[in-house]
Amino acid sequence: MYLTVRDATKTYGQFTALDRVSIGIEKGEFVCLLGPSGCGKTTLLRLIAGLAELDGGEITLEGANLSELPARKRGFGIVFQSYSLFPNMTVAENIGYGLKIRGTARGDIAARVAELLELVKLPQVAQKLPGQLSGGQQQRIALARAIAVNPRVLLLDEPLSALDAKVRAELRDEIRHVQRSLGIPTLMVTHDQEEALALADKIICMNHGIVVQAGTPEDLYHRPATRFVAEFMGISNLLRPEEVSVLFPDLLASRPAAKGAQLACIRPEQIDLTPAEDGAARVRNISFLGNLRRLEVESPIGLLTVETHGSNPCRTGQRVALSVAPDACTWVLDDASAPKAAQA
Amino acid sequence: MSLQEGTPARSRRAPFDADRLLTLACVGLPLLGLVLFFAYPMLIVFLRSITVGDSYGLGNYVEVLGSSGFWRATRHSLVMGGATTLLSVLLGFIIAQGLYRCAFPGKWLIRGIIVLPLLAPSLVQALGLIFLLGRNGVISRAIGVEIDIYGFWGLLIANTLYALPQAVMIIGAALVLLDARTYEAADVMGASPWRQFRDLTIPSARFGILNAGFVCFTITITDFGNAAVIGGDYSVLATEIYSQVVGQRNFNMGAVVGIMLLLPTVLSYAIERQAMKRQQANQMTGQVPYRPDFAPLRDLGMAALSLLICACIVAVIGIVVYASFVTLWPYNMSLSPKHYDITLAGGYSSLWMTIVISLAAAAGGTIGVFLLGLGLRRLPQALAQPIQALAAMPAAVPGMVLGLAYILTFNSTATPLYLLYGTAALIGIVNFYHYHTQAFLTVMTGFRQLPPALEEAAGSLGAGLGRTARDIVAPFIAPMLVSVFFFLFMRSMVTLSAVVFLTTPELSVAAVTIMRLDDAGLTSQAAAFSTCVMAVVCLAILSMKAILALMQRGNRSKGMA
Repeated sequence: MYLTVRDATKTYGQFTALDRVSIGIEKGEFVCLLGPSGCGKTTLLRLIAGLAELDGGEITLEGANLSELPARKRGFGIVFQSYSLFPNMTVAENIGYGLKIRGTARGDIAARVAELLELVKLPQVAQKLPGQLSGGQQQRIALARAIAVNPRVLLLDEPLSALDAKVRAELRDEIRHVQRSLGIPTLMVTHDQEEALALADKIICMNHGIVVQAGTPEDLYHRPATRFVAEFMGISNLLRPEEVSVLFPDLLASRPAAKGAQLACIRPEQIDLTPAEDGAARVRNISFLGNLRRLEVESPIGLLTVETHGSNPCRTGQRVALSVAPDACTWVLDDASAPKAAQA
Repeated sequence: MSLQEGTPARSRRAPFDADRLLTLACVGLPLLGLVLFFAYPMLIVFLRSITVGDSYGLGNYVEVLGSSGFWRATRHSLVMGGATTLLSVLLGFIIAQGLYRCAFPGKWLIRGIIVLPLLAPSLVQALGLIFLLGRNGVISRAIGVEIDIYGFWGLLIANTLYALPQAVMIIGAALVLLDARTYEAADVMGASPWRQFRDLTIPSARFGILNAGFVCFTITITDFGNAAVIGGDYSVLATEIYSQVVGQRNFNMGAVVGIMLLLPTVLSYAIERQAMKRQQANQMTGQVPYRPDFAPLRDLGMAALSLLICACIVAVIGIVVYASFVTLWPYNMSLSPKHYDITLAGGYSSLWMTIVISLAAAAGGTIGVFLLGLGLRRLPQALAQPIQALAAMPAAVPGMVLGLAYILTFNSTATPLYLLYGTAALIGIVNFYHYHTQAFLTVMTGFRQLPPALEEAAGSLGAGLGRTARDIVAPFIAPMLVSVFFFLFMRSMVTLSAVVFLTTPELSVAAVTIMRLDDAGLTSQAAAFSTCVMAVVCLAILSMKAILALMQRGNRSKGMA
């Protein structure tokens, strides 16, 4: 591991923000810390940045302990949700500030600033003040400022949350492109699972100050470990074993013997619908979402969500038969702490 | 081994980190100043109030509380404070309502006139009233009636004019906060303008009004200048302290009266702070400012009322300037500059000295509160909060009491602080600590607007505290620093109450000179000297506006390049 966090603990009075959290980032890896607000993800990022102090545990970079290094000596780059460009400095001065502190020659700074403006596709704005730029532009400049000093780690604190949907998608690709081409190990905090799926090599899903599951985006989406992860990573149908036995008895075979209450997690796109007069279920509502249709299906065990691509002959009120491939179901642990709101 | 496990991570950090030392210095120096020049003198004044002979006791209090003079002064102070508060809050509300909730042209003129009383030592209102309504006053002579302006009524008018700018500013700030959409909603629901005023405006402005009331009350009962010039036989607590200390050289009794004066001001200040917090809690983000439409009946009436009040202010201040040029008031009304040749010992030296002292107090004070604000941001809450509370305390202490505390502390050979006694430095220091709260709170407002992420971004780019302060923080709150500098300069130029005890025959300041000239019967020269002070302060205001405008333009043109 390039950057390692071991047993990081942080408390604020009675509140435990982080409880013995351990994570790692490989060289060149893009890692997302994903979780609902208050899960401790931003606290963890601030601890790594040196903006807050650990109450326990340690953080090492290439084996060297960072605990005694203040933020300014860690050589990390950070981008905040609120842009945080220095309002009294021009764009060029903002980007060059870290180099100026390091005593880089003026000419070299100018060259580096020009190169970075090119990289973030804003070569025209060098002499503008931050206030004259749009939110998306400001965030690109903030990104350029953070990477100007060739940071050892790039930290992104919800960098896209303050932007509109379209700008967000653009900048998301931009960040991915810049990160890949420069190979900077990057840790991004986000509460948006789509963003995490699109960007990350590895997602670390957190809740209530602990890591719930870490793995590739595919792992977390298709093989969630707990109900919380399943609900947070997108829409899913979570069925109790007795419900499964009513509709899809074949799936019970894959049920693990592990302790604790298990639920079958079936993603909406993994349920096949066939119109059938004697089908067990009935289509109650259809939402057209462009590339797909989301159907609300009334079944003997309650409402299920199904998504279909392409043309679909189903109409509202039609009776349908349901089927699920045996390997398309994941059994997850029912952690009681899962927020209901996540299933939207 | 087990010990090491239990040790939190922060203790492992190097104890002599340069940034930590700098933070300590930033907080430590201003804190030392607050302790030496505010807390310690206040302790001394308290100790002196309970000093009887060589031991401690309540004898002085018994004596003061038993004297009819003290009770008369207390009653006068409270009655005067209450009456002035009612009058200035009422008039202030009218003007604020006119400025922010009505539509009529020429508001800039009202805004300009309303601050005039702040540009002069408080005794100028009293001087102006004497020139207007005194035995030889313009109005008295015109209508041929002899008015006795010395006493309650004269003091009431003078104090009201002096407190009015504060009332307008505080109530105005509350009215500005009211959201236009609230009124649009009320319109749609069918509420009449009167109902809107009664049900929306008054309730939302109530904390502002309450706040203004307490500020006006405090200003009035602590003011010395007006009471000294026009109070006549109407003794108040502030003049009582002065006569105990300067007249009868009875320092311990003065200390007792000072402590008694401290009680209502501390109480009033505490309530005012609470009201301020409640009002700030009401503040919404992203509000739409109210833009009044022209309503002839309301607006013409309000404009007339506002202008009438402004006319009174202009008359009182203007007559002082006019009288300073009159050859021999009231017998030879031809104009001449002869009163500008000050005949009192020292002439204009005290004016120059005041300017130097004010510049020093402003510069040192601005740096002091900036460092304090900078350091407090980096201190844990548990440590920062008590320091903040201490820094906000001086506003509760009347100038007379602070001045008395200084003379008791620094005129005693018990400590090396004695070396400061009789120096211009001490006058600069008392001025700064007298107005410490307002300066500190202004800077803290600036700091609150500074997003923590800016400093964190600078920090992770490698900037230390010193560099962040210079490159990021100072430019960000520069407009606040400029305001604080000029605020301290202007208050130092005109303040009388605290410095009146600290001047010596060799070292005087402008406001004290004006009082001496008036005492000596050289009223026209007092007017001339006042006019000079007002000119300096006006110049300072214009400079401040120019600098703030330049800073804004500088920022904009930088972006255009």
